[in-house]
Amino acid sequence: MGVKTDSPKEVRPEVADKKVLGLSKDSWIYTFLGLGFVLTTLDFLMAFLVSPLVLGAKVSGVRVIGGAIVQNQLLFSQKIFYFHVPVALGSFLVFFFTAFYGVRFLMTKDKIYDTKAKIATEVTLLFVILTLITGDLWTRFEWGQWWVWEPRLTTYFIMTLLVIAYFVLRNSIEDEERRATYAAVFGIVAFLDAPISFAITRMIPSSVHPVVLRSGGGLLPTQLIPFLSGLFGMLMIAWVIYQVRLKEEVLRERVEAVKAALEDDLTADAPTFTSFAKPETPGQS
Amino acid sequence: MDPVLAEIYRTVFDAAPYVIAAYGLLWVGLGGYVFFVLHRLSGVEREIAVLEESVARRS
Repeated sequence: MGVKTDSPKEVRPEVADKKVLGLSKDSWIYTFLGLGFVLTTLDFLMAFLVSPLVLGAKVSGVRVIGGAIVQNQLLFSQKIFYFHVPVALGSFLVFFFTAFYGVRFLMTKDKIYDTKAKIATEVTLLFVILTLITGDLWTRFEWGQWWVWEPRLTTYFIMTLLVIAYFVLRNSIEDEERRATYAAVFGIVAFLDAPISFAITRMIPSSVHPVVLRSGGGLLPTQLIPFLSGLFGMLMIAWVIYQVRLKEEVLRERVEAVKAALEDDLTADAPTFTSFAKPETPGQS
Repeated sequence: MDPVLAEIYRTVFDAAPYVIAAYGLLWVGLGGYVFFVLHRLSGVEREIAVLEESVARRS
């Protein structure tokens, strides 16, 4: 069993450096990754250095700050918007691909679409967790509580549970084709919550959750540019994660196939059971 | 400090830890996951290198 005893650490350097199927050919992945981090950093810097502070409640007096008359509190917590909203929108957009590839799988029964849908859901889960963390910190400061059962948060929480349930479902089914089919259908149905969660603050006007992206604008250029920079940066990072995971899954399948072929080969070459029997020596019988 | 200015800037000072924590956790989460998936991919690549070596040895 030479394959199993070879640990990755024992690879000879010249073999390890070959990277026949490695990322060395995919320099665009690193370009996108770098660009994604540059854009998200730009979002952060512009949010703090360029975007003006949003005005809050009126204060008891008036002061002139930087040549401008200020008579309201300056809401620093609103800065969370510049990375909370891009990551939340990213979670909706990436979740769309779970449903999209689910449909593609049901149409073609091609396993690759099941793999793509699974990876898209993984990225969605990461973005959902980051959205909840950043949103919760804002909620804790602005509303004084870690969680409020208002429509946006509730529908988003349902979406989180659905994303987790997707993986629970996958892990509970042994048969590969049944698992892929059930996961595809579940992914499509689960995605329906995303547009509901996005639109709920517009559908229920009493919702206390802020509505930032309205028709007709509402954001100054100094707010819109960092916001878009963050959004595109995070989508680029999501795309890189998706591509790297897809590559890993495809390679892993190939590794398993080669291992199985090697093991079959070894089994075919191995001596039969009877040949291990002690040979009869002349005169014993 | 001027009481009116203190009132204007009150939320700035109070909100700063939350804003910094939100950005820090987001950055760590994204960066950490990217590092994790790249590390896993390089693991599979090393495994392929081992298999290639095994196949080469056998042939």
